[in-house]
Amino acid sequence: MPSVPPHIVPPTAVAQGVLPPFWSLVDAHGDELLAHARRVAGPEHAEDVVQEALLRALRAYPRLRHADHLRAWLYRVTTNAAIDDLCRRRREEPAADPPAATEDPHEIDGFEDLIAALPDGTRAVLRLRFVDDLEYGDIAARLSCSEAAARQRVSTAVRTLRERLAA
Amino acid sequence: MTPLPDHLLESVAASAVAEGLADALYTSVATPIGPLLLVQGSRGIVRIGFDADAADAHLAAVAAHLGPRLVASRRQLAGAGERLVAYLEGDVPEIDLPFDLSLAGTGFRREALEALARTTARGETVTYSELAARAGRPRAARAAGTACAINPVPLVVPCHRVVPSSGGVGNYGGGAERKLRLLELEGALKPSRPTTR
Repeated sequence: MPSVPPHIVPPTAVAQGVLPPFWSLVDAHGDELLAHARRVAGPEHAEDVVQEALLRALRAYPRLRHADHLRAWLYRVTTNAAIDDLCRRRREEPAADPPAATEDPHEIDGFEDLIAALPDGTRAVLRLRFVDDLEYGDIAARLSCSEAAARQRVSTAVRTLRERLAA
Repeated sequence: MTPLPDHLLESVAASAVAEGLADALYTSVATPIGPLLLVQGSRGIVRIGFDADAADAHLAAVAAHLGPRLVASRRQLAGAGERLVAYLEGDVPEIDLPFDLSLAGTGFRREALEALARTTARGETVTYSELAARAGRPRAARAAGTACAINPVPLVVPCHRVVPSSGGVGNYGGGAERKLRLLELEGALKPSRPTTR
């Protein structure tokens, strides 16, 4: 009988039998992740962003310690991939975009730098959603508004961010 | 099914395979005996499923044994799928794909399946007690039957070639009708009902 090869020993004992097959998450949430990537990165870059996000998620998946909030985790991974994609494009395309060249693209360092130039309210909404990783219900509670209004404000804030980055 | 475009999913699958990120690949293969779920791990075919409704349970079992990074890809499994279809269409005598009995557990059940794969040829049938004998425990016919019942890789490990000593084709995970058809395909049985079902 061959010995058990190392690749079938899960990285964490907790993960074995607890995490659902990865592709079931892709089946369940792939479409909304693509829609999310369209909103954050723009339609023409959304597929590349989702592809990168799924690979990042696949690399990290066996290290997850529990199967809670997998959808929110995938959203976070996708948001990060979208933001990295925006930053990379800003670095690579300064010549094609003279107004953006007035600031040093290398100073962009993470989410806070990315949103630094946005109005206070917009920054606050983006932090609640993408840094604090709150669901819309919780964002609504923080902002003392309805959940629908919270969704609207996040959506508007993301659009503003994208437009600023593209400008 | 996911509404993500095929080219995106296949691209993710190809990168995952290239990077060694997939614990197992799977796809559904259209064959003459109906759609089959085909799951392949790093050491070979690890699961073949007849029942599309049970696909989620099959995949969860694979994830529990090989790891959770299951990736669907028709393209990455095209070769194995074509081999299965060629066998089921009678174009090649044996499937001849590497397999992995991780899902069969350990002990006699696994030994019986290994003996079955090693010792039975196309066109041959063996009884459960004969299989038990070939696996080294002549009195364990019942356990040999259980081994066939839990065979994770039917067709590849040909449990359809194991029949009861009392006659008839006996039980089969894919249904007695499929078992009959496979034995006819292999020439172990003469086609009994050419047109009627």
